[in-house]
Amino acid sequence: MNRAEQEAYLREYEVLKKKGKPFFPYAVLKDSVMMMIVALVIVAMAIILGAEQGPKADPTTTTYVPRPEWYFFFLFELLRVIKPPELVPIATIGIPTICMVLLLLLPFYDRNPERRPERRPVAMTAGILTIIAMAYLTFLGASAGSPTEIEVEPPPQIAADTAAREEFEFGAQVAAQSGCLACHKFGENGNDGPGPELTEIGAKIPAEAISRSLVAAPGIMPAYGDLPPRKFDALVEFLASLR
Amino acid sequence: MAEPADKKRGATPEKPKPAGYFEGETMTRRTVFALAGQAAGGVAVAVVALPVVGFAVAPIFDRPEETWEGVGSPDDFADDTYRQAVITIVDGVGDSGKTTVYIRRGSPTLDEDPNEFIAISTRCAHLGCPVRFVQAAGNFICPCHGGVYDFEGLVIGGPPVRPLDRFQTRVNGDTVEVGPRYSVTNDLEPVRARDPGEFTGGIWEYLYPPRPTTPPPPS
Amino acid sequence: MPKLPSALRKPSKPGERGNGARRDGGGANGVEAEPHPVREKTKEGAIDVVGWVDQRTGASPFLTGLLLRKVPKGTNWFYTLGSATLFAFVVQALTGVFLAFYYVPSATEAYDSISHLTNDVFLGEFVRGLHKWGATMMIILIFLHMGRTFFFGAYKYPRELNWVIGVVLLILTLVMGLTGYLLPFDNRSYWATIVAMNITASGPVVGPYLADFLRAGSEFTATTLPRFYAVHMLLVPGLIIALIGAHLYLVVKLGTTAPPWLRAEAKPKSSREEKVG
Repeated sequence: MNRAEQEAYLREYEVLKKKGKPFFPYAVLKDSVMMMIVALVIVAMAIILGAEQGPKADPTTTTYVPRPEWYFFFLFELLRVIKPPELVPIATIGIPTICMVLLLLLPFYDRNPERRPERRPVAMTAGILTIIAMAYLTFLGASAGSPTEIEVEPPPQIAADTAAREEFEFGAQVAAQSGCLACHKFGENGNDGPGPELTEIGAKIPAEAISRSLVAAPGIMPAYGDLPPRKFDALVEFLASLR
Repeated sequence: MAEPADKKRGATPEKPKPAGYFEGETMTRRTVFALAGQAAGGVAVAVVALPVVGFAVAPIFDRPEETWEGVGSPDDFADDTYRQAVITIVDGVGDSGKTTVYIRRGSPTLDEDPNEFIAISTRCAHLGCPVRFVQAAGNFICPCHGGVYDFEGLVIGGPPVRPLDRFQTRVNGDTVEVGPRYSVTNDLEPVRARDPGEFTGGIWEYLYPPRPTTPPPPS
Repeated sequence: MPKLPSALRKPSKPGERGNGARRDGGGANGVEAEPHPVREKTKEGAIDVVGWVDQRTGASPFLTGLLLRKVPKGTNWFYTLGSATLFAFVVQALTGVFLAFYYVPSATEAYDSISHLTNDVFLGEFVRGLHKWGATMMIILIFLHMGRTFFFGAYKYPRELNWVIGVVLLILTLVMGLTGYLLPFDNRSYWATIVAMNITASGPVVGPYLADFLRAGSEFTATTLPRFYAVHMLLVPGLIIALIGAHLYLVVKLGTTAPPWLRAEAKPKSSREEKVG
């Protein structure tokens, strides 16, 4: 923005300001109404949602699944999706720092004198994309399942039968608790790698082959032959029904 | 603020020389006063601020005493699975100073001395969430961002930057004792304890320099 | 008897029998022929007090400048987000001060003091709820306020510095959120704090020392919680108040923007088009 543009802006602003109304009481009224709404919302939330207290901090736990407050979900999800260890410092320090610096210095690199949104396509696109990205990361973070849970819908023929459904869910539980999610993906749950995705494994290989690879454990995969037979069978059946 | 103008005036030859002027003078009385005033203010601020800052940062130079804690007799531990034990790593904060460690006997199949004990920390090397040992899979799983470690604590999946930390162990009479924590490189070389999220080995030993608060690693 | 400063007097409207009209004429001498001498006396008394304070502080030109300054044409509901954020901060400050009446910042007692505060103290859960949800509202509002500033192009000349202050305020607000949620000392607080400190520690070179500074040691120690408490209670709120002061000063000095689609008469517009062309 050069000198002439700055002066043009100030002149124009002066005119618009002259045409305006006094801050008190016109703007103050709007402000007060807004404050009242905010106060009512906070009071309503405090009454309806209250302030629950979780279990006491336990540094010795090995079963707790930490999750941040909702407004840090985007950061949480960022840390979850950036898997390669080499990139971890970039996710923890790099990206947030860069974003903050970019935000802080916005007026210094956005030199476009235009203020109307429709005439600032680059800024608007960047702004909207940022908002979408933040909202999406927040949503993903909020819906991130526990790594010890598998949420997959059973196929229709199993879903229809109560006993089969129970068996399916038991198998899913065994799979979740046996740590399969560490290396395999089941639908939305689990890690994508190093193992192959298992969402439709039943359609790819037959039950006997699944059973054999669970015992033989190819590559770095641990062997699951030592599972109690009841659990082992449920696990095989569960995997074979994924298609 | 008035200094530049003042100097300019001083430069003009017409101005009468102030008292005590001598040839080659570099500072006027006024400058001396201005500097002295600023120096006095600076001293006043520094006298209060420096001790306060020192007071606040002192703990980063303070190394707590090493503690060793018994966790059971050597016969309690097998070499093919881990046993959990709760130890106190910080005194005086009750339950919040405790942590859980996974302990097993050295396994000959992993090229370890069966008379040694391996104590693995439950803090994920990614960002410090509590990992759990899954018996069926024989690996450690982190519930936060999906890190996975094998039986020895080496990373096999997810974002962790180094293997799980370990604790020093020793056998004292008939008790296995667990001592200070240390970190390991990807080859299980011991290095100084560091926080999760920090790489070990190579150039990272310089990028994450040793802190005075942690004891040196076992040799 | 001190005279009401002219700046505080209401401009008289024709035909209105208001204070301003009378005092403009009457000056310092108070009671004229009035049906209610007592009420009149009380009014005069109040005016005396205001005048006394004004004479000694010179506040009235400042206050009239503040309150009667014009806001540009087209100022709409989006412009209330800033003051709504300020209001949420005031809620936080107030409830925070009173929560501190009951809270004990110690790793061994914090949890129990929160339990006591929530379950036993009269209206305890409500006040803690206000603080908790007030924080949520403040974060939502500060983001909305920033969004408004961005989409209206209000960070541009001459308000660049105010944008910078605003971003620092946003960061400080997030720091408040972070330091605040350790304080209840439940599982979520504890592990979130552990992760946050390890994020700090993963910064090369200075990160490990910074994390040691925040924790007061290489592990979570007895002084970690008091540190967070002091930062949450004193350090950051102090900075926030100072920066809000600077932020508001600049808002008053530079004025709020007009909505970007509003144009003054053709003159400035044409000069800009010449520039662009």
